[in-house]
Amino acid sequence: MTAPSPRALAWRRRGAAFAAGWKQYASQRAGLVGLGLLVLIVLLAVLAPYISDQQGLDVTKATGGRMEPPSGEFPLGTDRVGRSVLLLTLWGARVSLLVGFVATLLSIAIGTIIGILAAHYGRWVSAGLMRVTDFFLVLPSLVLAIALSTVLERGVGTIILAIGLTSWPSAARLVRAQTLTIEARPYIERSKALGGGHLHVIGKHVLPAVLPLVFVNTTLAVGSAIVAESTLSFLGLGDPDPMRPSWGSMLRSAWLDSAVIAGAWWYLLPPGIAIGIVVLAFTMCGRALEAVLNPRLREG
Amino acid sequence: MSDILTPTEDALAEAPPPTRGGGALRYVLTKIGGGLVSMALVVVLGFLLFRVLPGDVIQTMFRGRPASPELMAEAEERLGLNKPLFEQFLDYLWRLLHGDLGQSYVFNVPVTDKILERLGPTLLLVGVATLIAVALGLWLGTRSAWRRGSRFDRISTGVALALWSTPTFWLGMLLLAATSGLFPTAGIVYSDTAPDFLSQALDVAHHMVLPTITLVAVIYAQYQLVMRSSLLEEMGADYLTTARAKGLRDDLVRRRHAVPNALLPTVTLVFLHLGFVIAGAVSVETVFSWPGLGLLTYDALRVRDLPLLQGTFVVLAGAVILMNVLADVLYRVLDPRVRAS
Amino acid sequence: MRSRRVALGITLLVTALVTVPVAVPAGAPEAHAVSEQQTKILRVGVTQEVDSLNPFISITRTGTDILRTGFDYLTVYNQEDYSPIGSLAESWETSQDKLTWTFKLRDGLKWSDGEPLTAEDPAWTFNKMLDDEVARTANGSYVKQWESVEATDEHTLVIKTKVPQATMLALDIPIVPEHVWSKVADIGAAPQFPMVGSGPYTIQEFKEAQFTKLKANPNFWRGKPKVEELHFIYYRNSDAAVTALQNGEIDLVNRLNPTQFDSLESNPDIARNKAQNRRFNEILINPGAATFDGKPIGDGNPALKDIKLRQAIATAIDSKTLVDKVWGGYAEEAQGYIPPVFGEFAWSPPEDLKREFSLDEANAMLDEAGYRKGPNGVRLDKQGKPLNLRLMTHAEANLDEVAGPFVKGWLAEIGINITLQPLSDNQVNESTTRGEFDLAFSGWNANPDPDYVLSLQTCASRPNAEGKGNTPDSFLCDEEYDELYNQQLQEFDRGKRVDLVKQMQEVLHDRATLVILGYDNALEAYRKDAFEGFPLQPREGGVIMNQQGYWGYYGATPAGEGPVPVFNDDGTASASDAETSEAADEESSNTGVVLAIVGGVILVLLVGGLLFARGRRRTADERE
Repeated sequence: MTAPSPRALAWRRRGAAFAAGWKQYASQRAGLVGLGLLVLIVLLAVLAPYISDQQGLDVTKATGGRMEPPSGEFPLGTDRVGRSVLLLTLWGARVSLLVGFVATLLSIAIGTIIGILAAHYGRWVSAGLMRVTDFFLVLPSLVLAIALSTVLERGVGTIILAIGLTSWPSAARLVRAQTLTIEARPYIERSKALGGGHLHVIGKHVLPAVLPLVFVNTTLAVGSAIVAESTLSFLGLGDPDPMRPSWGSMLRSAWLDSAVIAGAWWYLLPPGIAIGIVVLAFTMCGRALEAVLNPRLREG
Repeated sequence: MSDILTPTEDALAEAPPPTRGGGALRYVLTKIGGGLVSMALVVVLGFLLFRVLPGDVIQTMFRGRPASPELMAEAEERLGLNKPLFEQFLDYLWRLLHGDLGQSYVFNVPVTDKILERLGPTLLLVGVATLIAVALGLWLGTRSAWRRGSRFDRISTGVALALWSTPTFWLGMLLLAATSGLFPTAGIVYSDTAPDFLSQALDVAHHMVLPTITLVAVIYAQYQLVMRSSLLEEMGADYLTTARAKGLRDDLVRRRHAVPNALLPTVTLVFLHLGFVIAGAVSVETVFSWPGLGLLTYDALRVRDLPLLQGTFVVLAGAVILMNVLADVLYRVLDPRVRAS
Repeated sequence: MRSRRVALGITLLVTALVTVPVAVPAGAPEAHAVSEQQTKILRVGVTQEVDSLNPFISITRTGTDILRTGFDYLTVYNQEDYSPIGSLAESWETSQDKLTWTFKLRDGLKWSDGEPLTAEDPAWTFNKMLDDEVARTANGSYVKQWESVEATDEHTLVIKTKVPQATMLALDIPIVPEHVWSKVADIGAAPQFPMVGSGPYTIQEFKEAQFTKLKANPNFWRGKPKVEELHFIYYRNSDAAVTALQNGEIDLVNRLNPTQFDSLESNPDIARNKAQNRRFNEILINPGAATFDGKPIGDGNPALKDIKLRQAIATAIDSKTLVDKVWGGYAEEAQGYIPPVFGEFAWSPPEDLKREFSLDEANAMLDEAGYRKGPNGVRLDKQGKPLNLRLMTHAEANLDEVAGPFVKGWLAEIGINITLQPLSDNQVNESTTRGEFDLAFSGWNANPDPDYVLSLQTCASRPNAEGKGNTPDSFLCDEEYDELYNQQLQEFDRGKRVDLVKQMQEVLHDRATLVILGYDNALEAYRKDAFEGFPLQPREGGVIMNQQGYWGYYGATPAGEGPVPVFNDDGTASASDAETSEAADEESSNTGVVLAIVGGVILVLLVGGLLFARGRRRTADERE
């Protein structure tokens, strides 16, 4: 381990593998389109403060009328207090994506840890952990998330927690299955025989082998987390700060202020379509990644 | 919720390992035992979770109306809220074992009554929607897999994914806006419909159209995708090649051999994903004011009716667990591979 | 063949589910209209669930609204202007010491089942409430100070109280029949249907979370209503109720929001009623909450004890913008504490006291009071801590949800940082009663007699150490105000009392422990093709639903059945002089279609994009 050459070798190998993977990924048009869309949306979200004026989110500075249809000044019309729907949708991307990413990371982290532990350690730990996992897997997670958001103070943090804490079980199962496959391989046996401890085996062998799968799962789960965020916000459990709108809270405002009755389609459609596009983009990327990384699909 | 896209892993993880004949009973017992443990967890979680909800129960009961401290103390005594937590838990357990879920603070009726009233509409909605979604999903999934890569495959998979990507409540709102006037927008039956069975049934069906379409649209994708991928996997199997080599017609091979085998993971998934369906039901019931358990849960949360919340939570979670145990046992009974060994 | 049959079956099932119901109620609107003509039904959409129809238990707006039509009271508020008049009781007198009240009941009163209604019935009802704690759940506060209740003969009811009680002519207690309720074992249980009552209608059937059905009561002492059945239909969201009104599924609905109210303007079959509410909306500013005996409670920001800070906050809240943007113009701008609907007591600040909305002015006030701006633009309090305040909002209230961001925005301009805290109604009630707030949305329905809302701001209305026992509002405890309050209590000269009440409002205005936001209108609408109109309370510009009485539902007049009655205080009715319906322009809306098309196109684009992108997926699949 002290000599730099094996490590460099390993890196070179990884680099080559990555290049091969990318080539394979790039051969799938769905994956490329999804990735392109994602990059575009993330860029827009990140650049929002530079390409638009956040002051426009402040209701006291809104210049439009109540639910004005699209016009030159407001390309997507205005909301119930006269703010630009386009601006809200742009800024909504920030919160929705943030919640999607962080909640997924949280849920995947929990899932990975539990999955690996359940597979790596013996019967009792495994049985216990898997029972808990099964339990959470079947629980109506939305009900649980609603309860959690009610118990805790309202805000982005709470939403992230509520989603993260209720959506990890499928990741745990996946990781466990994968870990079991990997631990059955001869080189793990060898490593154990050579005196590798639990930490060593997990950290050096299992984790790197499981990570690609985890990565795929993450990509797919972000979409679900974004939908979950919008649902919780729609039910009135989102962040109340008007300067931090999310797509879900926009839809809630539209719903509460009877955009359906008023026929204000410019108020109803953009947030929903934005959610749809982002989720679809993540799904496309995830499926393409899966095709690259999932050994079963590859070896078929 | 992301499981639909990696369906086979889930389904496989769920599949019981083929054991020798004598293990059957043991297997069933293990599954039932597991279900019981889960139920116990639900019961405990139900108690604890809603015990930490912020807010003063007694104040909630009086809804901010002026009430003397004595009156409040009396109410506290009556509800046993002045006892230590552990004692309250024992009380709760004891009553639960007798089918008593407590008294709703807001409605002043037994929670069990309240839940039974709402169970019917939810079962109807979720049941019909699940049936349609499964049927639709299986059919589309089979066709897509059989004509993998065809235009039909691409379109149907694309539509399924797109619908699955949209939030349930938004789909409901769009449906409401788009069909305005064609269908009732809320509730389950008009108050002035004739009381005979046929009129009532037709009226309920009429009210059900929009909620059912919304729920089906959101959930059928997972069945379709699982069916598609498990059928694809099945189609690579040797026995199908053999069957074809025997000279059996293509669609016969599909119906007799491939589809039945591919059905199993999908059927398991139906049960495994009931929690997801229930989540959908909460949104759908909220948008369409469908008087079911999902709406009751959400309304109970808003007014913090603890016994009612506890009740709906325990019943919903319990039902899902029960269904899962059933699915496991059924799987065991149905899977020809398991049966044969 | 099997799978083809299965597929066929599924297709049939789906088609049946979708088309049969479409086909059937394609003629349904007519069917509804027809059934309406045969038995005249008034179908009312309500957006709040009925908690219980047990008269001893129900406390929700909808529950009490229904019970008001099912059970009569000793006295009711009249239609004209909310003055109390006799209902079951024809007359009454009080003893010199105001401790003994003697009510005389009308002759020939009957329950809906034909049994005679005598003084024994109210006596039993009230005594049950005195004896049984459960029976006091809903209306216990009225009988808290009672000594005894007795029916001395068939027509005479004598109530003795421990202290003089001002609400004796406003007892909001439904009188129940002794011959039915004395046999009920559990007084708090859900009632049996049909219910025996004495109001204009009798409650026949209740489907939880769906509807309540009532039938006209032929034995009602004022006479049978023109409508034969009254249905209250529950809609969880008001949009659905509005759509139902447009489709003719219901006839009357209230609590509309401005968007809904505007959207109904163009419908030729619908009449709208914009009514003055008894309600004022306010933001409380915690001036340092304390118990009734002066011990500090709660966790309000101590900086708010400074009246200069509170006045600056009040100057930075713009009622006009709230009226325009939040209430869509359907409200009146803030003036005094008593809503303008009660013109006599209402006060508006004279020019020299008026707080014109001005952020510059507010900033100047804060500068002068010594609140320096910190590094990030947030002002520092006297201890050098940044002024971070919480604003508590009702999570389900549209006003709070829309107005909250405005208040936050304005206060940010004067260097005060606001965190919005949406909580359930109960949580807001609890927290404000315990003094655990900085700023909070609140509001009250004022009564014709302002005593109750005025009492909310006295020292004595503050709670005990647990935050219970009383209902405080802003936790103001001001010597001058309390002094004036006691004076007006004892003032029998109406003019002088009005003066005192106005002075009290001036004190409230100056102390700025509460900021009046405005007085929103009650927005209602009904099918004018089915109904001529409804008696309003108060008669001029009043409401149809949620009245303090049964006038609106009782006097509902189906189309073509003559003018809407006016109910006089002597128990008679006369024809109304004014037409309540309003004219409306015809204009059709295609927005639903537009929505469907736009949605469809976008869905197609999404799918198309996906398909295009998936074009090469085949290769990956085929490698399997």
